[in-house]
Amino acid sequence: MDQMERRAFMKGAGSGVLAFTVGGLEVLLTPGAARAQGIPFRTLTAAQAATLEALGETLVPGARQAGISHFVDQQISIPAEEALLEARILNVRPPYANFYRAALGAVDRASAALNGGRGFAQLGESEQRSLVDSMRQNKVEGWQGPAGPFVYLLLRSDAVDVVYGTMEGYAGLGIPYMPHIAPTKRW
Amino acid sequence: MANEKVDVVIVGAGASGSTYAAVLAMAGKKVVVLEQGPDWQLSDLISSDFWGRRVKPAGAPFLLEGKNPVSYGYQGGWGVGGAALHYFANFPRLLPNDFRIKSEHNRAHDWPISYQDVAPYYDKVARDIGVSGDAKAEEIWRPAGDAYPMPPMKTFRNGEIWLKGFESVGIRMVPAAVGMNSTEYKGRPACIYDGWCHVGCPIGALANPLVTYLGDARKAGAEVRPWSNVTRVLTNAQGTKVTGVEYYDQKKERQVQEASVVVLAAWAAQNPRLLLNSSTDKHPKGLANTNGLVGKYMMTHFSSGTLAIFDENVENHMGTTGAQYMSYERYGKTAHKGAFGSSFIVAGTALKTSDLGGFANARLDLFGPELAAFMKRAARGFSRIGAFGEEMPNIENRIELAGDKDEFGMPLGRIIHSYDDDVPKLWEANFAEGLAVAKAAGAKEMWSGRGNIPTIHLMGGTIMGTGAENSVVNSYGQTHEIPNLYMAGPGIFSTSGASNPTYTIFALSLRGAEQLATKWSTVAG
Repeated sequence: MDQMERRAFMKGAGSGVLAFTVGGLEVLLTPGAARAQGIPFRTLTAAQAATLEALGETLVPGARQAGISHFVDQQISIPAEEALLEARILNVRPPYANFYRAALGAVDRASAALNGGRGFAQLGESEQRSLVDSMRQNKVEGWQGPAGPFVYLLLRSDAVDVVYGTMEGYAGLGIPYMPHIAPTKRW
Repeated sequence: MANEKVDVVIVGAGASGSTYAAVLAMAGKKVVVLEQGPDWQLSDLISSDFWGRRVKPAGAPFLLEGKNPVSYGYQGGWGVGGAALHYFANFPRLLPNDFRIKSEHNRAHDWPISYQDVAPYYDKVARDIGVSGDAKAEEIWRPAGDAYPMPPMKTFRNGEIWLKGFESVGIRMVPAAVGMNSTEYKGRPACIYDGWCHVGCPIGALANPLVTYLGDARKAGAEVRPWSNVTRVLTNAQGTKVTGVEYYDQKKERQVQEASVVVLAAWAAQNPRLLLNSSTDKHPKGLANTNGLVGKYMMTHFSSGTLAIFDENVENHMGTTGAQYMSYERYGKTAHKGAFGSSFIVAGTALKTSDLGGFANARLDLFGPELAAFMKRAARGFSRIGAFGEEMPNIENRIELAGDKDEFGMPLGRIIHSYDDDVPKLWEANFAEGLAVAKAAGAKEMWSGRGNIPTIHLMGGTIMGTGAENSVVNSYGQTHEIPNLYMAGPGIFSTSGASNPTYTIFALSLRGAEQLATKWSTVAG
């Protein structure tokens, strides 16, 4: 990497945080802290972020507080080649925002069709679990959008990332993180 | 913009391109290596599954099609070091039976060379870049060769716990050969077994190109140009020789690099894409493609993973991403009744929580509180073993140019890949045996890692053979049609075997590069 790019890259990695924009200024925060501070979303709408939060929490308890929506929003707002998303590994074609919009839209459409017009975030816990279980098995009738099992896989991966992929997540499971080059806080 | 002509331009700075660069630069040739991504340094290799994704492609220039689309994003590399910047460094070699499947089984095709032609290069690579293992122990399955320069790596409970199970079904396990340092080697430190190999080893204990052949190449004067997207190989007016390549630099400006010899080392998928996109009136179907075989016979491996939870702390965070133990016991092409193809067995791997290989994905059916409970159990007692399977080459598995284009106006590629009927049979046979091993090992919970049949590694597309009637290149990677155009990497494999491919990539690249250096005046003219 050239020196300028390396500095930008290492700034995020070294501090263990991501760059969020607050009042026109770039600040470095963990997604969980960004959520706690109510940092505005850059790409997701409020409704999409709410759906993603509810979905993430259904998939992996703790994803809401860990800031899954802020994590994904920040990641789909930067160039694809800088992104740290599992989408990169799973061959999603950039821009990644397109996939997330389509996936979240599909979840909300399915939810509305099955639950009297209510979006996923408005469902009760058992209803959310039921829909996710059907989506996982590709059993949602009239599903429109990216394949349900793939949406399940990818968003579950994002939720796993923010809950279990961090140094905090390893500590919660009692696993020594043992880095060569430590992300000094949480990544 | 034209650059000063050089002796050789190499497209790709991964395992194969680095090997060519080292040999040719040390032979006194002026070498330029073009790499499409960043110039990664060891200090960029953060121990994190998030950050590890940075060294992989973001949106491959390929459309992935067929019944079993290839897993490009996970396998591929992006930037200097290529996929070998994040590989697991398992270093099994192909065995003699891989080179003569046609002769022995009337299936697929023979390689134009034998194991004995490659064996000296396995040994030389081991000395060059450092391999740990027990060669003598492997020789129950293969001809004798040199000892590895380092003793086997340490083992951990997550690997050792399986040994009783393997023994019970008659599978002998030996220390895995790996491209890692069990001791300090050539100034590089010994491994510290923290299991972050798959996101890149920043201490240089793992033999990635930056600390091995590419480092040697740079010291010998080779120039590496990152952010260089090659779009075409250029030829003379007669179409008899290549003259260099066209590429786009970091500013997206067109450049031409003239060279006496061109080596394409851009991985099994990109090499055919470049050849197909380099058509001229003399080569209307693309370079080296009069026989229509460029892009054909794409192959992958598949794995039957057996997953288990033991009632003890197996310390699955300890070790390396590569294996602790390996076996060729089922490597015979007909080792499993009713199935065809080799299987290569591994055991003992360090595990992380997230990413594709993390243990959260060991039970993809679980979510919510059930997943949380599983994660706690798995953190203590989860381990897995795997059997890689061999796919027979099929001409229908291929790369073609697509209608859509990338930002440089180059057509995207289509990788069309479907497994034939042999594959599910071998996959199932290895699952069945894996469960028997797990049971005999005393696992508390055990299951097969099912789902879609995985596509691991990528080989073929510019295969080697005895002549233009059956292949694209000869056994050195030199194209049959254009003598100063070479292919390097797994694309030249005639068949896939079941062994992880990178050791063979290094060995064949070393063999091809040394031949090129020796025959330079004939080839470069």
